[in-house]
Amino acid sequence: MHSKRGARTAVFLVAAWVVGVAMLLAGSAGAAGPRAHAAHTLKGTVTGHLHLLKSSGSELIEEGPASGPLSGHIKARLNVGATFSGTFTLYTAHGTISGSGKAVPHGEGIYESFSGTSTINHGSGRYAHVHGHGGLFGTFDRKTYGVVLQTTGTLTY
Amino acid sequence: MRRVRTILAVAITCAGWPATAHAVETVKFSASLTPEHLDRGTTIGFGLGIGATTGLPSPLTSVDVSYPEHLGIALSGIGIRTCQPRALEVFGPLSCPADSRMGFGRATALVPFGPEVVREQASIGVVRGPTREGHLTLLFYAVGEDPVSTQLILPGTLDEARPPYGGEIIVGVPLVPTLPEAPNASLVSLKSTIGPLHLTYFEEVNHRVVPYRPAGILLPQRCPRGGFPFAARLGFEDGSDVAAHTTVPCPRAAIKRRRHP
Repeated sequence: MHSKRGARTAVFLVAAWVVGVAMLLAGSAGAAGPRAHAAHTLKGTVTGHLHLLKSSGSELIEEGPASGPLSGHIKARLNVGATFSGTFTLYTAHGTISGSGKAVPHGEGIYESFSGTSTINHGSGRYAHVHGHGGLFGTFDRKTYGVVLQTTGTLTY
Repeated sequence: MRRVRTILAVAITCAGWPATAHAVETVKFSASLTPEHLDRGTTIGFGLGIGATTGLPSPLTSVDVSYPEHLGIALSGIGIRTCQPRALEVFGPLSCPADSRMGFGRATALVPFGPEVVREQASIGVVRGPTREGHLTLLFYAVGEDPVSTQLILPGTLDEARPPYGGEIIVGVPLVPTLPEAPNASLVSLKSTIGPLHLTYFEEVNHRVVPYRPAGILLPQRCPRGGFPFAARLGFEDGSDVAAHTTVPCPRAAIKRRRHP
């Protein structure tokens, strides 16, 4: 009888010790490690109306305002060759979002439409951990080199 | 007076080994940029001289011309309208919008007529065709008058290429039959331009249609080390293919800037 009670007490003490150590470890890890990053997801379409800043051969450097769930200013470096490719950075009030894309042309006139895919791979500020991918669409004015750029998809940051 | 400088690249002959051992096709390939001013519009010219070690060269079936990286063909302002291949075939090049024209050229073919071989000259017009599966298309329209009245459409597409090339123009060459049992006609020379040289486009300004010359294929601000590389690969009916390379040297001003920055 006595030995049974002793055994129960021992089991209780061991269990309490395990829980206590676990709580202590969890608490110290929380205090010393980085704060947990809460992921946000954003879906939608961002549209940029870009105008030419400068060109060199097949490369265009363009910028313009962006609107949509993320608004701000876009700067893009585009290579207009047999296919369209480029990199872009969206400057928002809370940080930057950068990515790249590739598209093929479809149009047959002064305004050439294009469609393809884009990948978001880095950012800064609130968007330091941003990543995502989606579609890339737009039109290209072959006379003024103006570009309307649309990126659709899901961003996680 | 505007000085137009044309640099004709040194032609390099490169012989490929055909499937049959008796004749080897040879190719002389040249390329030019007119004018050659960095960061300005230009016209690309290329020329092919085709021969064989013995007899007539096998008829040509394809021509791929690769052009240098960073040449803004899609930004050239040429080919801003399209010409439908069917309209071109039925009604000829005059049915195409003026703003679809992208270049001009000439071709020479050797046509066997019994024991004789006749030289056929043809003029070439290059127009922009409809975009197909994401590729810009070019239509080379060849018209031969003498001794045989011939009209041919050579369909071409603009495709990606690996560096140091920025893209390639892939042209299919249809076989041209001659007399029954006789070999097909053999193309022995082809010269063509792609760019605004000798082109006039039209636009509406204040309700008036005014002519203008398109900007041209934009050259980059810097000349690649060693010049602008071009390559050609020709396919022949006998199954052989021949590759040739050439380079358009950098403009003197660019070389001087590189030496004395």
